[in-house]
Amino acid sequence: MHSPTTSGPLPRDIQTVVVGGGILGLCVAGFLAEEGREVAIIDAGRPEGTTTNAGSLHVQMQSRFMRMHPDQVPALESGLHLYPKAVEFWFELQRHLDADFGLKASGGLMVAESREQLDFLAKKAERERSLGLDSKILDRDELDQIAPYLGPAVVGAELCADEGRLDALKANTALRRWVRRVGVMVTGETSVDRVSRDGGRFKLDTSRGTVRAATLVIAAGPGSLTLAEPFGLTLPVESEPLHMNITEPTDLFIGHLVQHADRMITVKQLSSGHVVIGGGWPADLSPSEDYAAVRLSSIIGNTSLAQHIVPAIGRLRIIRTWAGINTPTGGPGILGPIHGAPNAFLAIPGEAGYTLGPLSARLVADTVLGRRPTEDLAPFSPSRFR
Amino acid sequence: MKIEFEGEALEARPGESLAATLTAHGIRSFRTTERGAERGVFCGMGVCQDCLVEVDGKPNQRACTVKVDRPMKVRREGSGRAPAASGPAAGRPPITIEEIPVERPQVLVVGAGPGGLAAAYAARLAGAEVLVLDEGSAPGGQYFKQCSAAGVAPPDAQHQEGRRLIDDVLGSGVTVRSNASVWGAFRPLEFAATKPGGSFLVQPEQAIIATGAFDRGWPVPGWTLPGVMTTGAAQTLWRTARRLPGKRVLIAGNGPLNLQLAVELVAGGADVVAVVEAAPAVGVRRVREIAAMLANAPRLVADGVRYLSTCRRAGVRLINGSVLTSVVPHSGGLRATIAGRETASFDVDVVCLGYGFHPSNELLRALGCEHAFDPEQRRLVTVRDTRGKTSVDGVWALGDCTTLGGARVGQAEGTLAGFAAARALGCALSAEAVRLEAQAAADTARHRRFQRALWRMYRMDESLRVRPTGDTVMCRCEEVTYGQVEAALAEGATSPSEIKQETRLGMGRCQARYCGPALETFLAEQTGRSQDETSGFAPRVPVKPVSVGDLSNPAGA
Ligand SMILES: Cc1cc2nc3c(=O)[nH]c(=O)nc-3n(C[C@H](O)[C@H](O)[C@H](O)COP(=O)(O)OP(=O)(O)OC[C@H]3O[C@@H](n4cnc5c(N)ncnc54)[C@H](O)[C@@H]3O)c2cc1C
Ligand SMILES: Cc1cc2nc3c(=O)[nH]c(=O)nc-3n(C[C@H](O)[C@H](O)[C@H](O)COP(=O)(O)OP(=O)(O)OC[C@H]3O[C@@H](n4cnc5c(N)ncnc54)[C@H](O)[C@@H]3O)c2cc1C
Ligand code: FES
Repeated sequence: MHSPTTSGPLPRDIQTVVVGGGILGLCVAGFLAEEGREVAIIDAGRPEGTTTNAGSLHVQMQSRFMRMHPDQVPALESGLHLYPKAVEFWFELQRHLDADFGLKASGGLMVAESREQLDFLAKKAERERSLGLDSKILDRDELDQIAPYLGPAVVGAELCADEGRLDALKANTALRRWVRRVGVMVTGETSVDRVSRDGGRFKLDTSRGTVRAATLVIAAGPGSLTLAEPFGLTLPVESEPLHMNITEPTDLFIGHLVQHADRMITVKQLSSGHVVIGGGWPADLSPSEDYAAVRLSSIIGNTSLAQHIVPAIGRLRIIRTWAGINTPTGGPGILGPIHGAPNAFLAIPGEAGYTLGPLSARLVADTVLGRRPTEDLAPFSPSRFR
Repeated sequence: MKIEFEGEALEARPGESLAATLTAHGIRSFRTTERGAERGVFCGMGVCQDCLVEVDGKPNQRACTVKVDRPMKVRREGSGRAPAASGPAAGRPPITIEEIPVERPQVLVVGAGPGGLAAAYAARLAGAEVLVLDEGSAPGGQYFKQCSAAGVAPPDAQHQEGRRLIDDVLGSGVTVRSNASVWGAFRPLEFAATKPGGSFLVQPEQAIIATGAFDRGWPVPGWTLPGVMTTGAAQTLWRTARRLPGKRVLIAGNGPLNLQLAVELVAGGADVVAVVEAAPAVGVRRVREIAAMLANAPRLVADGVRYLSTCRRAGVRLINGSVLTSVVPHSGGLRATIAGRETASFDVDVVCLGYGFHPSNELLRALGCEHAFDPEQRRLVTVRDTRGKTSVDGVWALGDCTTLGGARVGQAEGTLAGFAAARALGCALSAEAVRLEAQAAADTARHRRFQRALWRMYRMDESLRVRPTGDTVMCRCEEVTYGQVEAALAEGATSPSEIKQETRLGMGRCQARYCGPALETFLAEQTGRSQDETSGFAPRVPVKPVSVGDLSNPAGA
């Protein structure tokens, strides 16, 4: 829905400005404001949107990706320990806000349709266990006990107990209320075109005038690329438009986050009963590259694959589709201070960025506050791209 | 024919809708919502998604669109019970778009109402190859909907007029496909559709959109109760199956269709207690309008006069300057309250609401056709030239889906757009075609003049708009109340999209067709924000819910 009324007043001079109001920007701003900082979020579009997420809490490694890019497996493994902690952190945040995100860590199944796929999953599960994940292989009989909804083509699956889902609509609403409560100024429909140094402060040229700030956090997803350029960084971020489908609600019958060993798909059922079907199917990028549009071939291919894996979905109707722009970083996320630019920070989560969102934001907020983050941020340092 | 509903055998007329069968047996509640509310037929035309039942194990079937053509087992729908995976199609191999058949007619017409049929006929007459798709079980649209039930009274004059038009179109070599729902439109010019056998795509050279309109909601306390339905729904029960919506009926609304319905229901033996019209009574001040109407469409004026006298003879009270303000359940039926010039309550079985229409412009908007906002009618109007050409190349639009004009305007505009689309293909028009085209241009102008005068006469007093209470439902599907929307505003939500996220308003099966306009009006009142062409929820594909089973199944395979 289009509306010009989300814009709100634009701050002229403020202690901390966060560019981007996605999951990262929202959480960083909230954490900083809770510690007494004066914070504003500026977003080009509608801040606090839900287009860039579907509520899957991912933990296990993507076998499809590993098979396509074996060279990148070590990088994947090096960041893996963050995922179960990120899921745990979502629960912590839910408690902290005393909210209901529709969180459920009921485990995720990666299904196999052949012996060969299952063998690959078995090796993957073994690696993951050694890295601290709760992963195991289930054969068809065992699957029938916990996931009778799976179709006849499935021969077995890897179950990763750390995975789950949440209702992103509920979570984002709760987060939006929280940031307002702790005093964050939220300004939408204002794009930051350029950032520069102006004495000891940052000067942001926006579509609605100039903003000055002492501290700058760039959490602008794909838009971070141009914003980080003045700091001598060439970020490997891309704009990846993705397509999602959602069915009408029905009684809960899919208990897990369902993925496939060798095909692009995620299926899960939200606490509201809607089944969400996605998993990386392409959408179209608008010519201006600032929004994504759904793609017909993805509606058909993606939902058709879903009914193959979970046949009862064939009896449900799709009531909505949407598209959002994902920000792949070609590896781990980009989090922390920009060296050589005091008081400038980057916050880009990397693969399954919604899962990683709140924890990544906590880590960045800690560095902004001059604290030692609970995780070593060296592997995520923006300096990699100088 | 016998069908089974919750284990009970019911006598049905072959060919009627399941909603007609159930209604005829006094069954008004078809399902229970997640919050425990009862729902039944509301729109009667497949839009509101409130009449969902389970048919032979298939969940979420719209009773108003399911044709009783075999003995069937029907169950009430819960909030949506988990679907069974059984059936021959369980887990069929996944397909890709390449496997979906593509049809490439020269002209595609979406909608087989008076407008779409006239357009198809004209384009064909000019030599174009034409495919018409309509989601209804038979061509005719709203005005010319045919009687589908077997063994009932012979067709009336309106049925017959429609039959002639349909026969002309079929006889001219146009392919008309019913039960074909167009659920998506993509640029530059591609349409995605399903028919009972599965999915297909259409890539026409020219597309004519004639998807009509649907009855507006009237959000007052109790408007979601079973037995409260639109005037269109009651009329569809009567015109397609000769079934009455109930025995004692109150009709409330704004516009002449309510009177027509009253006359039809009276003829069918119903006790229509009153027709409550929001517009003031027609007085001497209206001579100009009456003169304009008489000059442009004397037959329609004569119809109107006949409706009034029939109502009076049958003892139907005609109340002007008043509106429905609430409905509550009352001793097995409903108690409806009206206010305005007259305040009164009526105990009835059924309340019909006819407060105007909203254009079904979703496909046009999905294609990016330009629209303008009509502040008086509070709805979008498709921008087009006198021949129906929209701002998008190869897309023509006409009839009620562009702006409300009625069946005559739709038919005349259809003729114009059909010829114009054929011209765009390079077809040469015969002398006869040119004559018909000129005639249609004159008819369009004449009927538009009639409509303008008609609606000036029927202009309702805006102060009669009901201020909904906090617990009045705004979004039927997600059961969101005005109070919840108010709370979201108090929490700091400012835009419709934030309200949507906070409350789930507009995210249900009907795709915000009723709550979208209601929210816009409410926000305009609350925040003083004016509505414009960017207001309202952007149309989302699919424009109608589409089953995954159908998506996964290439039609014809
Ligand atoms: C359709 C889809 C589904 C997904 N589903 C999941 C999932 O289920 N689970 C999961 O873990 N991950 C999922 N992801 C990935 C995940 O959502 C993203 O990685 C994550 O949301 C990124 O959050 P972010 O805050 O970094 O960026 P974004 O959400 O992209 O937010 C960036 C914000 O910055 C603003 N911005 C950009 N440039 C400028 C500028 N110049 N000036 C001002 N503002 C600017 C944008 O308007 C935007 O609001 C999904 C992604 C997509 C696209
Ligand atoms: C419920 C209702 C009852 C009415 N009753 C009367 C009456 O009694 N007397 C009177 O004078 N006027 C009546 N009107 C007004 C009059 O019928 C219309 O003005 C006239 O029918 C308009 O013609 P049309 O061709 O523009 O649209 P319609 O006659 O509405 O035809 C539109 C057609 O498009 C089809 N369609 C819509 N969307 C899709 C899609 N996505 N895919 C496939 N097919 C689609 C529909 O099934 C329908 O058959 C009524 C209108 C409505 C909505
Ligand atoms: S009554 Fe069947 S969909 Fe509205």
